Amino acid sequence: MAGFTVENVSKVYDGDLPTVSLQHINLEVRDGEFLCILGPSGCGKSTLLELLAGLQLPTEGEIRLDGAKVQGPSRSSGVVFQDASLYPWRTISQNVGLGLELGGMRKAERQALVDKYLSMVGLQGFGSKYPHHLSGGMRQRAGIARALVSSPNILLMDEPFGAVDHLTRLQLQNDLLRIWQEERKTVVFVTHDVSEAVFLADRVVLLSPRPGRIHHIFDVSQERPRKREDARLLKIQNDIYSAIYDVKTEADLEFTI
Amino acid sequence: MKARKAKNKKMIWAGQTGLLLVILGICELLVRTETISSLYLPAPSQVFRELFKLFGDGEIWRHLYVTLAEFAVGYGLAAFGGLAVGMALVLIPWAEQFFRPYLSALMAIPKVTIVPLLALWLGIGITHKISIVFLFCFFTITVNTMTGIKQTADNHLKVAKVFEATRYQTIMKVILPSAAPTIFAGLRLSAATGLVGALFGEMLASKDGLGNILVKATSLYNTAQAFAIVALVTVVSVLIIALIDWLERSVFLKWKSS
Repeated sequence: MAGFTVENVSKVYDGDLPTVSLQHINLEVRDGEFLCILGPSGCGKSTLLELLAGLQLPTEGEIRLDGAKVQGPSRSSGVVFQDASLYPWRTISQNVGLGLELGGMRKAERQALVDKYLSMVGLQGFGSKYPHHLSGGMRQRAGIARALVSSPNILLMDEPFGAVDHLTRLQLQNDLLRIWQEERKTVVFVTHDVSEAVFLADRVVLLSPRPGRIHHIFDVSQERPRKREDARLLKIQNDIYSAIYDVKTEADLEFTI
Repeated sequence: MKARKAKNKKMIWAGQTGLLLVILGICELLVRTETISSLYLPAPSQVFRELFKLFGDGEIWRHLYVTLAEFAVGYGLAAFGGLAVGMALVLIPWAEQFFRPYLSALMAIPKVTIVPLLALWLGIGITHKISIVFLFCFFTITVNTMTGIKQTADNHLKVAKVFEATRYQTIMKVILPSAAPTIFAGLRLSAATGLVGALFGEMLASKDGLGNILVKATSLYNTAQAFAIVALVTVVSVLIIALIDWLERSVFLKWKSS
């Protein structure tokens, strides 16, 4: 079992004008599912992911991971960051092995695991390179390997493919699905790309902005492997687009009133 | 294409050397024909002769050693001290806020103005010069350390947090490596000023050292010897910077050069 229960969670950032980033979020992340959190920028989707990761704590409400309250980062969730966030002074191998090294595993033991995950993400032979030698897509692969190597039950991904070109992104999506199926992890994947969400996810959570609330949850029950041009997937995409359009007009209305 | 580039490079090098020889030649000629008095500008050949003489009688080695020792000790203390103080100020909560006015005030003092006072307190021996070098270097290194640490990327810290790194691990494996380029910029910058500090102290009040014999040579109107010492000091300065660059490239910032 590896799943989250998000109960009535709100996040408010203090300041001269306190901003409500998330409001009354209730969400169940089921064991083994691929969940996408979708929303326009500023809707608090990255905040929600950091709350799940334990990097921030909610102002109100509670998040439980397998029944236990989340109070800080935990080894059972691995995080993949927006820009890979590799350490430029470490080789790819040293970056991927970071979690094991910090956990006190010895170098010889580490190396085997690092090599295993490097080849899983398609980076075999690049271990001795430095991050600046690699393309954006390859860096993000290394970022995924770094998260996987500590064998977390849950993978939390914050717009991981946002910064790579479109064709690389499609390839990375396919590879991610393959890894997900091999490793059977629970994945929470934040994105602002509707087609990416629909292609990847079992369920798509659409957030509405300012303050972030759950607007609607879409089930995507199509069998895998999916085809991007599948009419039923496109239908769900269209539903999401019109839901986003509704959200927008509501927001506009609020502004006019 | 590559061959042509290499050929161009050779041509430029030959040109540069040629120009240098021409300039030296003109100087030589001007002095030999007594257009310019050798009191003001020594002939290059004279300067070389003085250089050989300095090394020939062996006296120079003692002065070189004194200057280098003053520099090395003062600079070493400033490097360790600056690194430690810089780290402490940023990493201990409230420390920077509390000490900032003191640090700014101390930094604002033009260091040369307290050199005579230091002589009063410490005498004109090696301790005097070491403390001058230290003062000339310490603040630059401290400030660069602080800047470097503060520039640690938020995301890099988040990665460490996700992996539940301890405070010590975060400092050793994230904060310091990330700050290393800025720290090294401070070390390089202050190496040059540190050597200036040692020489300046020697020129003002000392018993030996390169600065001491430089003042002597000038006051005896031995212009050729003064030129020779200036040339020697320049070479020393370049070598020190080269050493720090080498240390940076081959030990601490290998990833940048590869």
